[in-house]
Amino acid sequence: MTLEIVLVVAGALFSIGLFGVLARRNIIAVIMSLELMFNGVLVAAIGFSRFTVPAALVGASGDITESAVRASLTGHAFAVFVISIAAAETALALALVFAFYRAKQSVEITDASEMKN
Amino acid sequence: MSGAFDSGIFATIAFYVASALTIASAIIVVTQRDLVRAVVALAMSFVGVAAIYFILNAEFIGVVQVLVYVGAISILIAFAVMFIGDLANAGTLSQNRLVSAIAALLLLASVIFVTYNTDWTAIDDVTDPDAVAGLAGQYEVTSSDSDDAVIRAVGAGAEEARGGALVDGSSHIGPFLIRELILPFETLGLLLIAALIGALIVIRGRREDDAA
Repeated sequence: MTLEIVLVVAGALFSIGLFGVLARRNIIAVIMSLELMFNGVLVAAIGFSRFTVPAALVGASGDITESAVRASLTGHAFAVFVISIAAAETALALALVFAFYRAKQSVEITDASEMKN
Repeated sequence: MSGAFDSGIFATIAFYVASALTIASAIIVVTQRDLVRAVVALAMSFVGVAAIYFILNAEFIGVVQVLVYVGAISILIAFAVMFIGDLANAGTLSQNRLVSAIAALLLLASVIFVTYNTDWTAIDDVTDPDAVAGLAGQYEVTSSDSDDAVIRAVGAGAEEARGGALVDGSSHIGPFLIRELILPFETLGLLLIAALIGALIVIRGRREDDAA
């Protein structure tokens, strides 16, 4: 298991999500595909956190500080923030889908082409 | 290249199984005509991603993934599918499906190309024994200054790290978020409450217009 194969899995997940976002017509299906893209990015972030290290630790010769070691968790912290923001975004997006459905009686993404109402 | 942070053959096999599950489920999500089945496949995909997080030593993120994605977002989307009954054309793909597939494949090809043509700073480049022991969680704090504590390897130190965890992440992610990322962390709470209120207003707004 190497960083490369993790990144390939992440890229595959992102690409599948991209296909869904571009090709799906139902708005809820587009939101599902967006979630797949989020997960692809997060897998990449966690993979980087696992397989790369902060520059302060590479070839270090002096004292190692605890904060330098903790900095290797940057990818995890990134994932925490992205997951929270994705959850908020999904709730808001589904609320918008409901509002749109009430206004137009449709969840087709091609019907969402005008800003009025 | 085999280094102090290799995961071992079992973790590698588990990683491939979890990746296959995740990608197969993801393909079902974007191609399945029945939206309810797509939601179930989405939940499966999230579980596979959670398994990948556990294999990559991100236990805390794996638990959060199960709680937030599998437990909340999947259910939220399932409720949306159930509430909006108009699913006659739910599974139809749009006219530009061929262009979409080509774009996705090109993106994947470029990701693979860049991945294998980049010299990543490898974790195996860490040679300092204190640094290795720190990443393995096998250390003690030697100075009392909490902001810039100096660490030393203890016990077996680097040798014990062989095949072990990178960092005991679940016990360090808390101090990391609170000490060094406190402002974005608190701002996140503000964003969540704003999104909550925003979602309620979006849902309610139309009804008030109808009453007026």
